[in-house]
Amino acid sequence: MKLKLFLAAGIATLASSAAMADGAALYAEKTCIACHGKEGKKPMIPAFPKIAGQNAAYIELQMRDIKSGARANGSSAAMKGVMVNPEGVELVTDKDIKDLALYLSKLK
Amino acid sequence: MKKILVLALTLALAPVLSFAGGPPAATQAGIESKDYKWNAQEGEKIEALKLKGTAKEGKEGYEVCGACHLPSGAGRTDGTFPQLAGQHTTVLIKQMADIRAGLRDNPTMYPFAKELTDAQELANVSAYIESLCIPIDHGRYEGADAAKQIADGKTMYEKECIECHKANGEGVKDKFYPVLAGQHYKYLLRQMTEIRDGKRRNANPDMVTIIKKYDNAQLVAISAYQSSLVMPGSMCKAGAAKPAKKK
Repeated sequence: MKLKLFLAAGIATLASSAAMADGAALYAEKTCIACHGKEGKKPMIPAFPKIAGQNAAYIELQMRDIKSGARANGSSAAMKGVMVNPEGVELVTDKDIKDLALYLSKLK
Repeated sequence: MKKILVLALTLALAPVLSFAGGPPAATQAGIESKDYKWNAQEGEKIEALKLKGTAKEGKEGYEVCGACHLPSGAGRTDGTFPQLAGQHTTVLIKQMADIRAGLRDNPTMYPFAKELTDAQELANVSAYIESLCIPIDHGRYEGADAAKQIADGKTMYEKECIECHKANGEGVKDKFYPVLAGQHYKYLLRQMTEIRDGKRRNANPDMVTIIKKYDNAQLVAISAYQSSLVMPGSMCKAGAAKPAKKK
């Protein structure tokens, strides 16, 4: 029983560390890192938010709204450019958004 | 009385509002204006152009750029971010200054252009970028009719583009004409379309005059040809440079 639990915990940890690695790769690949800094902790300028540890649901909502144009204030235009290209081609998918939100929310 | 109050409130709030969400992108009258002068020799650009940049010193400063343009300078094959490696320092400095001044609209690039204010650093980073070999795995025209598109594009390119952008797409450094060889097909097509349609507001009016008569299909062919150009001696060797990561 104990062994089973241990195994289950081990698998869960492995799965979550794989998700974290994927999230980190996405975070660099989708160029989030350029503005929000390493692990979302060191934004390039004070007007950009620190996002490490932010609620996943909130990050997801903001990313979706910036991507769709529903949120267009402040620096949203800068971020929209890396989510949808000028021809309207999607660069960050909804799945990417979910993965990024989860990754960022787990950073401390 | 009420009017005055509203006015006073508006005035008081105006600066607050405009700074509320980070740096608002600047705008300056460009090609749409009667008084537009292409590449006016004024402002910070002059300072950076006069300074001698050291590639070695610019490597560190380029790190920030590399997040989007990649450490190799290759940008993205889908044309989202242009290929920069081997580009003339003059072109790099002018485009940075234009984006910063609000002459070339690019909201994603703007915050970075705004941060890079040090003329010596700008000269160094530009020198570093110019020193990089041009990656050869860039985005090209991929249709089944590529051979025909390239051939058609070549005919048009040799008629009117070649005078400024030269036979191998090497451009002219001291005239601020960019290197085209190694550039992504989709980026070339987008820029040419925007220059033709007056959307790239820092465009050279001489180029606008020339490009105006070309339709979309012709621009596709010209871009296909341009992205096939090779500058001998400036390209990365196959397998030598780290291939740009795709997707």
